[in-house]
Amino acid sequence: MTDNVRVELQPMGRTLGVRRGCPLQDVLFAQGVEFPCGGHGRCRGCRVRLLAGSLPVTPEDARLLSPADTADGWRLACRARAVGDLTIELAQWEAAILADDTVLSFVPRSGLGIAVDLGTTTLAAQLLDLRTGCVLAVRTALNDQARHGADIMSRIGFAMQGGGRRELTRVIRDQIRGLAAALVADAGGAARADPVADVVIVGNTAMHHLFADLDVGPLSRFPFEPEDDGLLSFSADALGWSLPGNPRVRFLPCLGGFVGSDLLAGLLATRLHESDEPAALVDLGTNGEIVVGNRGRMLCASTAAGPAFEGARVSMGMRAVTGAISEVRVRDGRMHCRVLGDVAPRGLCGSGLVDAVAAGLDLGRIDPTGRLSHGDALELAPPVALRQADIRELQLAKAAIAAGLRILLEQWGARPDQLARLHLAGAFGNYINRASARRIGLLDFPDATVLPSGNTALLGAKLVLLGAPDDDGTFATLRSRVRHVSLGEDARFQDIFVDEMRFPQPTP
Amino acid sequence: MTPIECLFKAVIDGDAKTARIVTADALQAGVPALDLVMEGMMPAMDEAGRRFECSEFFVPELLLSARAMKSALELIRPILAQTGAKPAGRVAVGTVRGDLHDIGKNLVSAMLEGAGFEVVDLGVNVAAEKFIDAVRTKDVKIVAMSALLTTTMESMRTTIEAFRTAGLRDQVRILVGGAPVTQRFADEIGADGYSASAPGAVLLARKAMSGTA
Repeated sequence: MTDNVRVELQPMGRTLGVRRGCPLQDVLFAQGVEFPCGGHGRCRGCRVRLLAGSLPVTPEDARLLSPADTADGWRLACRARAVGDLTIELAQWEAAILADDTVLSFVPRSGLGIAVDLGTTTLAAQLLDLRTGCVLAVRTALNDQARHGADIMSRIGFAMQGGGRRELTRVIRDQIRGLAAALVADAGGAARADPVADVVIVGNTAMHHLFADLDVGPLSRFPFEPEDDGLLSFSADALGWSLPGNPRVRFLPCLGGFVGSDLLAGLLATRLHESDEPAALVDLGTNGEIVVGNRGRMLCASTAAGPAFEGARVSMGMRAVTGAISEVRVRDGRMHCRVLGDVAPRGLCGSGLVDAVAAGLDLGRIDPTGRLSHGDALELAPPVALRQADIRELQLAKAAIAAGLRILLEQWGARPDQLARLHLAGAFGNYINRASARRIGLLDFPDATVLPSGNTALLGAKLVLLGAPDDDGTFATLRSRVRHVSLGEDARFQDIFVDEMRFPQPTP
Repeated sequence: MTPIECLFKAVIDGDAKTARIVTADALQAGVPALDLVMEGMMPAMDEAGRRFECSEFFVPELLLSARAMKSALELIRPILAQTGAKPAGRVAVGTVRGDLHDIGKNLVSAMLEGAGFEVVDLGVNVAAEKFIDAVRTKDVKIVAMSALLTTTMESMRTTIEAFRTAGLRDQVRILVGGAPVTQRFADEIGADGYSASAPGAVLLARKAMSGTA
């Protein structure tokens, strides 16, 4: 037996070589598949259909899927391992929007649509058949602008010198044009003959400005308020994109400050703006973005969490790819690590970092001030270790989020225990262990309140694509109900921020 | 423990209440105010700074020590003023224009006070004119500027230029710091000193007063 097996993914026809026995979750996650319950076999969001090869029926399959479904080849990807060559069909992309309980105002129309989540670090794009709502192709990429600065502020700094802004605008427009062309090519066959009718892009305010070649100066200094953060509408031709059908390209409007249309789309995806009870949407990125509110009124804010959740500025930090420790559990007083891809550990990703610190606190190896009890490092799985400075980075990141959330809740007028739901957006949100997030004081809410919600930005962009085509996309009513709070101007923010840097005492 | 040792420990522990009580008791018992500062408070803040540098302390612990130190200093300062004891120097501290971050600036202020400097805290979002005004009217010998954003650290450059234009550049030592600031940037904009940490700022300020920076 060779060490590698082939996994073919349908409908895109992509074939991947992976290590025999590798969890499918690790393979598929890198391909943009989401695991709504965090890959714990609690939901059916990641189900796939086996077209060739074999996958045993697991107890979770038997519990969550009907006998007819399992007989038909349906399995939960998060519970399956690639023990031999496989061909699987991804249910998620067949009906990505139509999650089981989503009521969607879907207006079928002809042509293709492209939804793009333009992040500071990563891009995710999907090609949709606007007649059926099905996803035809998926692409992800690292933002090409990153070579001019990893975080938003250094990107803005670059934009403000010489021809920096023009260069950043050129780079990102080129990259999205390339992604769009690649998606259409991926879809192949009949789809290729169809014109692209509509492109919807979402992203934070800096990405919005840099896509449109707007002045980012006002975003660089107090009071950090954009001058023009409304809907941007172009024709593909005007952008220099020769897409068949010359579709309109829209960058959706921002919510306020640095909080952009990624969060506006997140509201649409989570329907927070229709909720009777107070709810929250939290995106744990380098720039943590938070919305708190209900159908009546909402508050939003951004808070500089730093890149610790994405594995950056952590000594052995890495993204959630093969070789990353993604989970740490304490059993019999010892730490046990799970490594993505079932290979030797190479580093630690965001969810592993949160787990490792929670485990260190539980084992008494880290005290509530964040100090390691002895030595300068906590060994996890050789050669990967957690260093004192890594814990400090996490303290800064979690304090920024926790303080932001605390202030927004207070200003909105709700106690933390009145929060009905907390939607956790982003891939990291899918992987983070809720008990660990609570243990370190990042999200001090009951498990049932915290809902990993996947890439809500991309989901919301798709909802806009599939909605009524004559909707102008200005979202004037929704935006008028959201007020931006500048945390830096809140006199108490820095005190609360410092306060939140500590870890909670263990609960007996 | 002697009263001075008690004060030392209270400051390290970040226990403001105890720091104030032992200071009040010590002054009542006739311990010289200057001894409390030189042998209790300053070594304690030095030690807190050392622990911060080696990652034993983090921001909250250092801020708690600073708070304890200040609560003792409030009692001691009026007495020092009566006896005519001179501060190590007067420093204007501020976060530059466009930037609202004040934690780093507060840490530097506390470390400087703990080291016997008198600090004029100009706050955040401080315009060049405000720094210049402090030098003109408050007999400030050192200006310490902080910035946390790559985009706002440019305000350090414009502030230094404003000092030149005002013809005051030779009368003041300018120190800079903050997460995105580097020695190279400090050299480029013509600052007199750069420190990567709050405790390091004290060394710079001492050097500046002795004319070696």
